[in-house]
Amino acid sequence: MRGYYELDKATSHRWCNGYEQDAFFPDEMKERIVVFEGLEALIRRLPDRVYWESFFQTWHEWEQEKDERCVIWIGCDITQGIVPIAKEERHWRDVTGWCYQQLSRRCDRVDRLWCGLAERMK
Amino acid sequence: MIVFISGGVRSGKSKMAERCVAALASCRGIVHYIATAKVTDEEMKERVARHQRERSMQPIRWVTWEQPLHVHELLPHFQNDVVLLDCLTNWLANELFHEEGWEKEERCRQKAKRILTTIAQLESSSNALVIVSNELFSGGVPQDIGTYHFMKMLGWLHQHIVHLASHAILVQHGIPIVKKGGSLP
Repeated sequence: MRGYYELDKATSHRWCNGYEQDAFFPDEMKERIVVFEGLEALIRRLPDRVYWESFFQTWHEWEQEKDERCVIWIGCDITQGIVPIAKEERHWRDVTGWCYQQLSRRCDRVDRLWCGLAERMK
Repeated sequence: MIVFISGGVRSGKSKMAERCVAALASCRGIVHYIATAKVTDEEMKERVARHQRERSMQPIRWVTWEQPLHVHELLPHFQNDVVLLDCLTNWLANELFHEEGWEKEERCRQKAKRILTTIAQLESSSNALVIVSNELFSGGVPQDIGTYHFMKMLGWLHQHIVHLASHAILVQHGIPIVKKGGSLP
């Protein structure tokens, strides 16, 4: 992913590690690329579809404003195990699956990664 | 040559690895089996004994090494043989958690790098190296720092090993899905 988007070069980007940081809005964004990693962890802290829909919309609008802008979403697929018994766990999984569908619809490119090998789905 | 085989629990990945090894082993060569699991209870002891019995029935000559840690110590024993390492997940967990320091990401990364170096050395001192690992990434990333570091390092190792490997196979329900390198060697 870093290779494809050339993030290791001098390209200016901002990286949000969702396992260690909170998500942020585009106010004061100077960089042209933003990466949200660990999306499922971000969603876990606030499993609310309405919130994430408007979050995705805000970033989509930011991206549309200039040609060179790009938002990259990275998430773990947590939707394939046994349906959890605990209600909160189930809810988190549902919201995550729903968010991933929303993003897949919106995004220009979707890849599924396994051990660094990308399988392009869209 | 490295063959990387991964799969979920009870997916048939060990069977697949043995089949792979049988195809790679020459009739005169030895196959070294590196078992990284720590044998902790009776049930496991029995499983290990059963697997050893099964292997001894095969025409291939197996040599078993129980090596939960410091796999590099075995390097002098291999000479153009086939090496089967089962499995990476246990090895990494043993290296990370047998002593203090797993709270620090940098320390964990050093250990992961050491493992990768050993893998590269195993490759060059053997005829073929088959590595078995697990698919652990579908259950979400856990909150506790130890497991978080473990998964982060395992993912990092998977990427680098698959990059080095000539073949990468994902096993599901006993069926090999070739992700890299065409059909089985």
